[in-house]
Amino acid sequence: MARLSISHLKKRYGELTVVDNVDIAVADGEFLVLLGPSGCGKTTTLRMVAGFIPPSAGQITIGERDVTNLPPWKRHCGLVFQSYALFPHMSVAQNVAFGLEMHKVPTAERGPRVAEALRLVQLGGFDERYPRQLSGGQQQRVALARALAMEPQVLLLDEPLSNLDAKLRLEVRVEIRELQRKLGLTTIMVTHDQEEALTMADRLVVMDRGKVRQIGTQRELYEKPADRFVAGFIGRSAFLDGEVTAPGRFRTAGGREIACAAAGASGPATLALRPERIAIGSEADGLPNRFATQIVHASYLGAQLDVQVALDEQERMLLQIPNRPGLSEPRPGDTITIGWAEDAGLVYPREA
Amino acid sequence: MTSAPEAVAGARKNLAGLLVLPATLFVAVALIGPLTILFRYSLNKFVPGQFMVDALVIENYVKFFTDAYYLNVLARTVRVAVICTLACLVMGFPLAYVLARTQSRFKNLMVIAVVLPLFVGNAVRAAGWMTAFGSRGALNASLMGMGLIDQPLEIMFTETAVLIGIVAVNLPFMVLSLQSVIEGIPRNVEEAAFSLGAGPGAMFRRVLWPLALPGVLAGTILTFILAMNAYATPVLLGGPKFQMMGPLVYGQFAQQNNWPFGGAISFILMTATILLTALAHLIVQGRYRANRPAE
Repeated sequence: MARLSISHLKKRYGELTVVDNVDIAVADGEFLVLLGPSGCGKTTTLRMVAGFIPPSAGQITIGERDVTNLPPWKRHCGLVFQSYALFPHMSVAQNVAFGLEMHKVPTAERGPRVAEALRLVQLGGFDERYPRQLSGGQQQRVALARALAMEPQVLLLDEPLSNLDAKLRLEVRVEIRELQRKLGLTTIMVTHDQEEALTMADRLVVMDRGKVRQIGTQRELYEKPADRFVAGFIGRSAFLDGEVTAPGRFRTAGGREIACAAAGASGPATLALRPERIAIGSEADGLPNRFATQIVHASYLGAQLDVQVALDEQERMLLQIPNRPGLSEPRPGDTITIGWAEDAGLVYPREA
Repeated sequence: MTSAPEAVAGARKNLAGLLVLPATLFVAVALIGPLTILFRYSLNKFVPGQFMVDALVIENYVKFFTDAYYLNVLARTVRVAVICTLACLVMGFPLAYVLARTQSRFKNLMVIAVVLPLFVGNAVRAAGWMTAFGSRGALNASLMGMGLIDQPLEIMFTETAVLIGIVAVNLPFMVLSLQSVIEGIPRNVEEAAFSLGAGPGAMFRRVLWPLALPGVLAGTILTFILAMNAYATPVLLGGPKFQMMGPLVYGQFAQQNNWPFGGAISFILMTATILLTALAHLIVQGRYRANRPAE
C-alpha cells in the first residue's frame, strides 16, 4: 500500500471544466471518500487516478511513482465498479486469478492467493461458480476479491454499493470497511450517498462543480462546514438570508436581529443553523435569540419529528424534535417558541 | 391449471401452432420441396439427346470427384470463401468495435455508411470496375498514357478482383454481426481487465475476443455461406475462365441442360458449406475452451 497524492488536477472538455484544480492527499492506509452531487467531478477524478481519462493538467503520484502518464495496466490500482464488471466467461477463481496472471505471478502461487482473496470476502468454495450464478452482493465481493488478489497499491471504489439493495448495502459497507482496515488499504471511494460516505470514511472530500469544497473528518465537515454548500450538503441546516450589520450582529431579510458570535465583516450573508442546536419551548428560555414561530408542517419519523416552522413570511426553518413519551404532537398552525445560543449559527458571505 | 404464465400467448388454445404455420409452409414449399426434387434428380442419369433418364445411380457424384477440373473449382471456391471470410473478419472487427463503442452523435450515419456498399448492385459494381480497372479503363489508360507501362495491368478477370468484389459485398454483414454483439459487452469489463494489468493485446485475447465470439461465429458463418455461393461477382469480375461453384451449377442447368449433374454439384456445394461451417465452429469453440486456464 502507498500514499496517493493528486495535485492541481484538471480536466477540461473544450470550454467545460469538469475537474478544476483538485488537490487531494491520501495517507497510507486511509479510507477517503469523494462525495458530491452528480456531475461534481468525483467520478472523473477517480477515473483519472485509475488512468482511464488523461488529465488536462496536474499530477498524480502513487507512493514515489508519478503515474500521471502511465496507462491503467501499469498503475497497480485495484478497481471495483458499480456494475461489478466481472468477466462473465470466467469462473470466480479465474476472475480472481486474472490479475495475478497478468502480473506474471507463478502458477503455483496463484492458487493459494486466489483462495486467500476469496476467503477474505467470505466466498471460499465458490471457485467454480460463474458470475451469472451469483447474487449481486456475491458478485460485488468477487469483484473486490479480484481487485485485492493482485495486492494493488491503491484501491479505487466507484459507487460500489449503488446496485445492491438497501439491506445488503449495509452489510457490504461494513465488510468493505473492516477488510480495508485489516489490510491497511489506501482507498478512494466515490459515492453520492451521504450516509454511506459518513459511515465508511476516515476523511471526506466534498466536491461541487469540479472543485473541492472541503476536505475533513465527519465532525469537521458537520460542525465547521467551510461554506454554505457544505453546510447544506452534509447533514441538514436551516438557512436564513440577511446581512451582517456589525460584528456579532446579524439581521435577517425579514428584519429580525440575531446575536451571532460568528458574524464578522459587514455585508450580505447567510446564517446556517443545525436543527439540533435550536431549542424549543421552555428550553429556549434565557437564550439570546428567542422567537415565536408558527408550525407549517410536521412529519413523524419515529425516533424524531421534523418540524417546519415559519420565522417570517418567507423564512422557514427546520427543527428536529427527539421523540419521547408524552410528547404532544405538533400540529400545523400551532405557535412554538424557538431559540438558540449566540455561538450556534455559522455565517457565510452571500455567494454572488 | 398452473399459475405460471403461458410461454407463448395463446398456447392454451393451441394457437401457438397456428403462429408458426405461415413460415413453416413457406419454407416447405419454397425450399424443402425443390431441394428434395433436386436431390432425386441428382441420382438420375443424363443421356445426351434424351435429357434426363430415370435411374438411381451415384455416377454424377463420382464424375465430380474424379474429375480434376471440378475438384479444382471446388477447391478454388473454398479458398476464395475462406480468404474473403478472414479478410472480412480482420477488417470488420476493428470497424465494428469502433462503431459499437463510439459516443458520436453521427453513429447512425456511420452504420448507414457501412451498409452503403450493399446499395450498389453487383452488375453496377462490375460496370464501374470495367470503366476504372478494365484493360481500356481509366487507370490503364492513364498509366499507359504517361508511359509508365506498355501492357495494360490485368486487374479485371482475376482472382484478386473476385476476392475484392466478394469482400466488398460481405463486409457489411460481418461488421453488423460483430457490432451488435460488441455493443452488448459492457465497457467496464474492458476497463476492469486494464486495471488488473492487462495491456490492450491481453485484454483483447482474454476478454474482448471470447465475449465477442458469438458475433464472430455469426459473422463468419454468414459471410462464408455468402462467399461459397457467390454467383454474380465471380461471373462479372472473374470472367468466363474463372469458375466457382455457383456459376458452375447454373451453367449445368441453363447451358448444358444437364440437370442430374447440376443437382449433384448443388448438393456437393451445400454439403461442403455446411461441413466447413460446422468445422470452423468446432475449432473456434475448442480454442476458446483451451484459452481458459485450467486452475
